[in-house]
Amino acid sequence: MTRSYRVLPLLIMTLLGACRKDKPEPPDDRPLTAGQGGVYVVNEGNFQWGNASVSYYDIATGNSTEDLYAPANGNGLGDVLQSMALHNGRAYLVVNNSGKVVVVDPDDFVASATITGLVSPRYLVPVDDTKAYVTDMMANNIHILDLSSNSITGSIPCPGWTEQLVLAYGKAFVTNQARRYVYVVDTATDQLVDSIQVSKGGNSIVVDAQDKLWVACTGGSGTAPGLYRIDPVALEVEASFPYTSGTNSPWRLTINGDHTQLFFLNEHVYRMAITDTVLPGVPFVAANDRNFYGLGVDPNSGEVYVADAIDYAQRGMVFRYGADGTALNGFLAGRIPGGFVFR
Amino acid sequence: MTGRVTIRAGWRWATGEWSFFHSPGGLCTPVLRHGPFHLFLALSLASTCFGQQHRDTLLLKEVEVTATRLSTFSPGMKVEVLDSATVARHASSDLATLLANESPVFIKSYGLGSLATSSFRGGSANHTAVLWNGFNIGSPMNGQIDFALIPVGMMDDVRIQYGAGTALWGSGAVGGAIHLDGHPRFDQGLALQAGASFGSFNDQRYMVNAGFGNARWSATAALLQAAANNDFPYVNSVVPGSPEHRQNNASFQQLTLVTQVYHRFNEHQRVHFGHWYQESERAIPPTMHQASSAAQQVDGTQRITGGWQFTGRNTVVETRAAWFDEGLQWFPFGTEAVRSRSRTAIAEAEVRHLVGDRHTVSTGMNLTHTSALSDGYPNKPQQDRTALFLAYRYRSRNDRVLATWAARQELMNGAWVPFTTSVGGAVRFTEYLHARANAAKVYRIPTFNDLYWVPGGDRDLLSEVGWAGEAGLAVEQRVGSVQFKGDGAVFSRMLDNWIIWLPGTSYWSPSNVMQVWSRGMEVRAEVTVPVQRTTITLSVLTNHVVSTNQVAKTPNDASVDRQLIYVPMYSGQARLTVSRGAFGLAMQMNYTGYRYTSTDNRSYLEPYILHTARASYALKPGKRHTLALEVQANNLFDTVYQTVADRPMPLRNYRAGIRLYFLGKKAERP
Repeated sequence: MTRSYRVLPLLIMTLLGACRKDKPEPPDDRPLTAGQGGVYVVNEGNFQWGNASVSYYDIATGNSTEDLYAPANGNGLGDVLQSMALHNGRAYLVVNNSGKVVVVDPDDFVASATITGLVSPRYLVPVDDTKAYVTDMMANNIHILDLSSNSITGSIPCPGWTEQLVLAYGKAFVTNQARRYVYVVDTATDQLVDSIQVSKGGNSIVVDAQDKLWVACTGGSGTAPGLYRIDPVALEVEASFPYTSGTNSPWRLTINGDHTQLFFLNEHVYRMAITDTVLPGVPFVAANDRNFYGLGVDPNSGEVYVADAIDYAQRGMVFRYGADGTALNGFLAGRIPGGFVFR
Repeated sequence: MTGRVTIRAGWRWATGEWSFFHSPGGLCTPVLRHGPFHLFLALSLASTCFGQQHRDTLLLKEVEVTATRLSTFSPGMKVEVLDSATVARHASSDLATLLANESPVFIKSYGLGSLATSSFRGGSANHTAVLWNGFNIGSPMNGQIDFALIPVGMMDDVRIQYGAGTALWGSGAVGGAIHLDGHPRFDQGLALQAGASFGSFNDQRYMVNAGFGNARWSATAALLQAAANNDFPYVNSVVPGSPEHRQNNASFQQLTLVTQVYHRFNEHQRVHFGHWYQESERAIPPTMHQASSAAQQVDGTQRITGGWQFTGRNTVVETRAAWFDEGLQWFPFGTEAVRSRSRTAIAEAEVRHLVGDRHTVSTGMNLTHTSALSDGYPNKPQQDRTALFLAYRYRSRNDRVLATWAARQELMNGAWVPFTTSVGGAVRFTEYLHARANAAKVYRIPTFNDLYWVPGGDRDLLSEVGWAGEAGLAVEQRVGSVQFKGDGAVFSRMLDNWIIWLPGTSYWSPSNVMQVWSRGMEVRAEVTVPVQRTTITLSVLTNHVVSTNQVAKTPNDASVDRQLIYVPMYSGQARLTVSRGAFGLAMQMNYTGYRYTSTDNRSYLEPYILHTARASYALKPGKRHTLALEVQANNLFDTVYQTVADRPMPLRNYRAGIRLYFLGKKAERP
């Protein structure tokens, strides 16, 4: 009887000794003041988890910090950070699933204002010094913001899911994920004036060195995925670059500093000169089973930044490549890094 | 329940998951019928009854009739019974609350009345099999069960079988299996139970349970209704200043009707029919980040089972069938519905034969046909599964050793599923010390969502497959009037081809990319001290589970050798119960350790302790009537906590309940 008494506690004690500690490592948020010569990484975070964040990479020193916002403000940013825009010494963070835009100081990232009342905002572009447009996934509207009072002053009815937009010749050209058009808005009158037919799934748009617009579309509903070049004066498509197979999904279209080279993601990173007549067949940076989710090009150095979201449930990794495609280094960012803002 | 069954020397046909072994003049301990005890493996305990020479053929047949696959072929595995007293404590709750408070199974709850899934020994929600009347009632679409939708009032007891049970129960019983069974009440006359409970946030539940049993018939019917507003105040920690908000759009209503009928033709034959109807409407609440939510969900379930059993001198033959029809409508914005529905038809036959004196052999076949309709499967997929199983049990001459072996081979839509087998044994060293060990191959076939979802589903997905082992020791000791019980178990399981959904270029799809190694230790100890007319019981349960991903899913995956998300490494419970006559008082503490919310274990949720206090009083106005009153306070110290990241959880809340029992002349007191 006494023997059986001793067995159990002995067993427990030996096993407890082999136990693993569960206390997590403290987060690596070294305070880093953002400044010139750095890259902000826009981390979406998981839908409904509220873990959106902004990371920062200092190009000169190579130091990075995973979260600028929470240590500076004492609470989280919100749910799904879709994009960030710099304008007039302020940074505008578009928090998609919290329905708000947070205004912060680009250096110390302390929030100075919050614009609420948006539905599912996506991208913000200032159209002049005090006015900005914010596209929206579910509102069927493009919001008009007054940046001096940080409030919503109006809206431009536009059906579907408006995505990235770009300014050219006094107009805003707005992509739409749920329609097969690029919508044209007169920024002086805030009126929808025209639409240009492309494919469905328009998601990103840039202006090139010849003042032409390029749009990337993922296709669907009978339309082909691919790129389109648009003449912003004639308001029509100049050239089409469709993929033959519907499994392609070009997105994250961006352009380098002198606006001569296009870069986009289609599982891998592709580069295309604005004078090319066909889509690139060979990747610029092959994914090699990585999960590429974000893309950016440094306008000064031409270096390419690619974000790997891995399994969507851990910190993402950003890889840096030279302008010629040579691998440089990498750093850890936040959850699901999706965009880059260079300063 | 008083012991009515006598056993031949030692045990032959294992019975007694729930009856207890009481032999006049024998050496059986009057086992575990009172208070918050947990019955361990009936077989290993049965071995404590020895030396009983009395034989009664008629009663032996009774014993044989109640023998089931679980009790016969599980030696070596840890099986716990949450007996009717334990279940009665939570009679107005749901199965999620019962398991969270009374077992080491980790329940991941999305809020009061919201979705609740289980994690058993570091497995995922679809690694727990839930069986009703011997049939797996998990959804064929996502392989899971929402424990918040199963009312406790419909069952008499709950059997928790830990570890690898796939050889016995088929796909999915990887981390463990939870058995919800009805039991016949022949010769027990009439019994009527009615109860009502009222709790915070307009929580109202009603229950009526009627039972009848004579020599030939046994019938029970339970009707349960529950509703709550769930507009509880909570601390919103994602808003600056952490203000107190009120939960909205979280109400629910539920109606359940369960009937079980048994008919005994003669001492050899009986048939059984069971029916479970349930409908529920739930408002889906917003997370702490959203201002509001208009989402709603409507569930409707119909489950019917039937069976015939023939008992011969040494043989039992059983044929059973089941029909399940489950539907769900989800309204993400409160307007249009996303529908899904599944129908399952099962037929099973089993033969158990006693060879000689000490060998039991069983063989059987299971045919399952499932079809599902969902907006995500435009092709209306169907699935046919055939399984053949075999089991053998050996009992040593001196009744000290039990050993079993089981094997199962399943065919799914014409393709072979991994062959599984399990080996186990239990040894009774002394009357007070038992040991058990078990090794098994486990598998889980992909769900309908994994195979047929458009877009992304992959018909070529492999089953998850792996090996699991466990060993345990159970100690029972009485020193004077103090009784001590302890149980320690260690386990280890390696599961390969673990299915996980990963994003592709345009959509997510599942792949067999993970390999998970789960291992750990469960320790339970209980001390009961009678002090004059008062009984004091202290029980402690600790759980340590390390469940890590062993293989990189993509080149830069930092989740290798890291704990799976939402699996706490440490959790435990402690409870102090004081009872004296008609009064009872209990204080319970539940500890849940760190849970990671990122696969690289950098984001996490803080550990927390929840306190519960309960007081009860049982009045007996007549010999056969009982009136039980109960009040309970949950989260006594207003702990602010999160079980799922950024989902509100209530602060202190209360419930008061009343239950009436009317028992006929022959009925047994529950």
